[in-house]
Amino acid sequence: AQTPISTTEPGDIPVSTDTDVVTEELAQATDEVATEPQITPTSTDEESANTEALIDSKISLTKPLIPSGSYPVDISNWKCEDCAFEEGYSGEVELGVGNVSDKSFKFGEYNGLNEDGAFGIVNGNARYRDEDANFMNLSVQDLGLDSRSIEFDAGRQGSYKVFFSYDEISHAISENVLTPYIGNGGANLTLPATWVNASSTSGMTALASSLQNYEVELQRKRMDLGFSINQSSNWKYDIKFRHETREGAKRSAGAFFFNAAQLIEPVDYVTDEIDASVSYVGKHWQATLAYYGSFFSNDNKSLTWEDAFTPLVVGADTGERALPPDNLFHQLILSAGYQITDKTRISGDISVGRMEQDEDFLSPTTNTNLIVPALPRTSLDAQVDTLHGNIRVISAISEKFRFNADFNYFDHDNQTPQSQYTWVSTDDFVNTTRTNQPYSYTRQEFKVGGDYYFTGKTKLAAGVDFDSMERTLQEADKTDETTAWGKLIIRGFKFMDMTFKLSQAERDVSNYQVVPEIDPPQNPILTKYNMADRSRMTAGATINAMPNETLSLGVGIDYAKDDYSESTVGLVDAKEINLNADVSALLTEQSSVHAYVGQERIESNQNGSAGSVPTWFAKNEDRVNSVGIGYKHRLMEDQLDVGVDYVISKSTGKIHITSSASENFPDLEVDLSSIKLYADYRLKDNMSVHAAYWYESYDTRNWALDDVNTDTISNVLSFGEVTPSYDVSVITVSLRYKF
Amino acid sequence: QENAESVAGTAISIQAGKFTEKGADTCIKCHDEDEAYPVFDIFKTKHGQKGDKRSPFASLQCEACHGPGVAGAEAMQEVLDQGGHVGKVRPGQKRPPILNFGIKSDEPVETQNTSCLGCHQDSKHIDWLGSAHGGGNIACASCHTIHIAEDPILKKRTQPEVCFSCHKKERAEFYKASAHPIRFGEMGCSECHAPHGSASGGVLIKTTLNQTCYTCHAEKRGPFLWEHAPVSEDCSLCHSPHGSMHTSLLIKRAPLMCQQCHSQFGHPRVAFTPAGLPGGTASGFMLSNACMNCHVQVHGSNHPSGVKLMR
Repeated sequence: AQTPISTTEPGDIPVSTDTDVVTEELAQATDEVATEPQITPTSTDEESANTEALIDSKISLTKPLIPSGSYPVDISNWKCEDCAFEEGYSGEVELGVGNVSDKSFKFGEYNGLNEDGAFGIVNGNARYRDEDANFMNLSVQDLGLDSRSIEFDAGRQGSYKVFFSYDEISHAISENVLTPYIGNGGANLTLPATWVNASSTSGMTALASSLQNYEVELQRKRMDLGFSINQSSNWKYDIKFRHETREGAKRSAGAFFFNAAQLIEPVDYVTDEIDASVSYVGKHWQATLAYYGSFFSNDNKSLTWEDAFTPLVVGADTGERALPPDNLFHQLILSAGYQITDKTRISGDISVGRMEQDEDFLSPTTNTNLIVPALPRTSLDAQVDTLHGNIRVISAISEKFRFNADFNYFDHDNQTPQSQYTWVSTDDFVNTTRTNQPYSYTRQEFKVGGDYYFTGKTKLAAGVDFDSMERTLQEADKTDETTAWGKLIIRGFKFMDMTFKLSQAERDVSNYQVVPEIDPPQNPILTKYNMADRSRMTAGATINAMPNETLSLGVGIDYAKDDYSESTVGLVDAKEINLNADVSALLTEQSSVHAYVGQERIESNQNGSAGSVPTWFAKNEDRVNSVGIGYKHRLMEDQLDVGVDYVISKSTGKIHITSSASENFPDLEVDLSSIKLYADYRLKDNMSVHAAYWYESYDTRNWALDDVNTDTISNVLSFGEVTPSYDVSVITVSLRYKF
Repeated sequence: QENAESVAGTAISIQAGKFTEKGADTCIKCHDEDEAYPVFDIFKTKHGQKGDKRSPFASLQCEACHGPGVAGAEAMQEVLDQGGHVGKVRPGQKRPPILNFGIKSDEPVETQNTSCLGCHQDSKHIDWLGSAHGGGNIACASCHTIHIAEDPILKKRTQPEVCFSCHKKERAEFYKASAHPIRFGEMGCSECHAPHGSASGGVLIKTTLNQTCYTCHAEKRGPFLWEHAPVSEDCSLCHSPHGSMHTSLLIKRAPLMCQQCHSQFGHPRVAFTPAGLPGGTASGFMLSNACMNCHVQVHGSNHPSGVKLMR
């Protein structure tokens, strides 16, 4: 990305008030356990051997503390009489009602609460377990909303599992779009019979009487179905099908030469995906062979619309735009890991894939008055072959030192045939020919590094990364970047954990030159930032402290700076700073509080030119301040839980431009305040009443939309959208019952 | 010095370790539901299933993960006998010599994780060692909580909060004006990221960033007749995936966004100033959708006349 990616890396230590004795469960839990233990008590001598192994384990990469395959003790008397093994059905149901105070698509953008009024709360889960490890889980969420989801799985733990899920995500895009077009949501947009074409929006005398409001919404519905089988402790088979539909509309536009109209574009997509894999887990190695397939289809091939302006040439009164063509992708992936010794592991992946697209071409123009030579082909027959490879070696050379090396290869080989196409400029004029440019990329990364452990908890990690990118048909054939980095992690110093990071990268570009096929030609003094010489420096520090069992504090800073010092026009520098501070405290046995503040600053400078030297200069400064406070309290002899969460996020975007004069754009602003209050009152052990109040206030200033009515821009017939601003409260009351 | 002692202490305690005579019954007579740190919900999880022979409770029970427990139990008893309280380890007080997990554990991360990897070094964790999280930095139990019925990190609604305990920048980013719907519980971090490691940068679920984006945005995959070079190279050249104050997750506002790479003869090289705002000569190059008012096919066009990304 242009803005340097500030690295909140996983070296940072979490601050949370998790339980004291927590252990872990790895994602799919015990579904994929390696070896079957056999109950064979071992002798005292073997037990001693085991303890040797245990001590050794702190420098071993994988050797378990308790080696599987044999038990070092006779467990025939381990009755587990007090163990509360779960059998039979259990679950929880939540039923209730809620009310949304005001309609706001921005508030309800993704949560299904975009309309005002009452809604039903239907949540629940049910589970079944028996002593033979048979299980079933059913979970429903938000059944009363357009964001509903259902998940189901059942099987026998360790043997097989079938699963099904259904998930809807609504995307409420805009509720106040104004358009004179008829047929919105479909693929043909027409103007009313009374429409008066004009050379500018101010002359469109029928505009005001033709405008209608259209609510732009998308609904994504996703269905997953699959099963997995553990044939033995070694072999596992997984298959998953996903069928996803996206229906609705999105904001779009269409242009005739220099006149444009914002348009509603129909969305009627189907994506089917298949994930299938066979996995083998052995004592020393693991491998997975997987297939991934993605099949996309679009029910609409094009969007046609009538020109609202006076056509520039006769016959150019209707435009047709291509909509996303059907496509497919196949990929075969082989992943494997091998434990060469206790201290050295090698792992890698290799995948081959193919992207294809062969949708029939549309006509070069809908203007029948134009004479256009025949197309060189009837469809593109596009094909991109992908090849990715990764190999990684990690070795605990000694108790103190660990070495790792990593090689990655990515190839995007675009095999799409090149042809010359006579193109029509927006249905107005026939142009000369242009040749399509099927871009290809090859990227190679080589990383080598080491970790030196001063103690078991303090380590210095350092390394060098080489990243080489080759491109075809673009300005630079090759960029080479070298990054040196270091990280110091100190755990348990007094009551603190600390991480310090530093990196410096240099990217060199060979042979940057203007691409001759681009017309009109690019300004030769512009350098595109993804192919420009660049120095990148990043630094970061995180300190987390737990002075006692009830208090934790954390502060962090991340800084990243990119210098494109060789670039004259284009992006010349970019900077990102992140600051954050957190505190969480157990105030009493019954109450806890957490709070955070954060600031993000994203800044960049770019130059432009109307000639052979830079003639204008722009500075972007985005700043986001955020504050969060949460408080929980348990009252009335633990019968009542109450809590509050409050978040403020305030963004400001400043743009300063210097050309003939030095000027500031009005600030871009986004202010969000969100407060959630909730109470949970236990009527009985298995029944409680839950009540919640959620209030959000949102306000924006956006010079690109503010005061832009449908006819404000003379050559763009706009939606006249009002920037989102809302005050919405949501009240819910529900009864929760456990069985 | 303190750390060295701790490491040695762990080793010694395990070396001296003896398994209890009665297994879990020894432990859970105290760690019951009424205690500050109840463990009984483990019986609602896959680990607490005796019908699956791979499960800890089909074998060494608590001690399968926590190691031999006699020393720990004895240490607890000693404190109790002295009238002490063992519900909490007070500052300055030594922890009982038993393998503990999580962020407050004194054990080195690798010591903790080897206990988990004993069973979980499987096909789902091939890339774990050497990955960003797995390079000896993060304990499995820093993210996973197993003594509760549902590990929060395995549910998309509760997962982000766990990730945000370290990834604080991202926590704030999802409150920006344009963001993926993480804060509404409609997406989990793991829909894009593979926290146990992967071959791609940024530990993504697919081999490249773009392939990851296409899992939900398949219509952008193409390949198109007229490609926009940065689009097929790397979505993040223009988009900030976690959130942006600018529309459509863009890293910057158009037209400046586009003018970082476009300075062709004609309008791309012109300085667009506040004179083009409403009140001045309202400019279609700056307002509404700016450059995309006309060049709407920024992700590529398959129209024979789409070379300018206008058809």
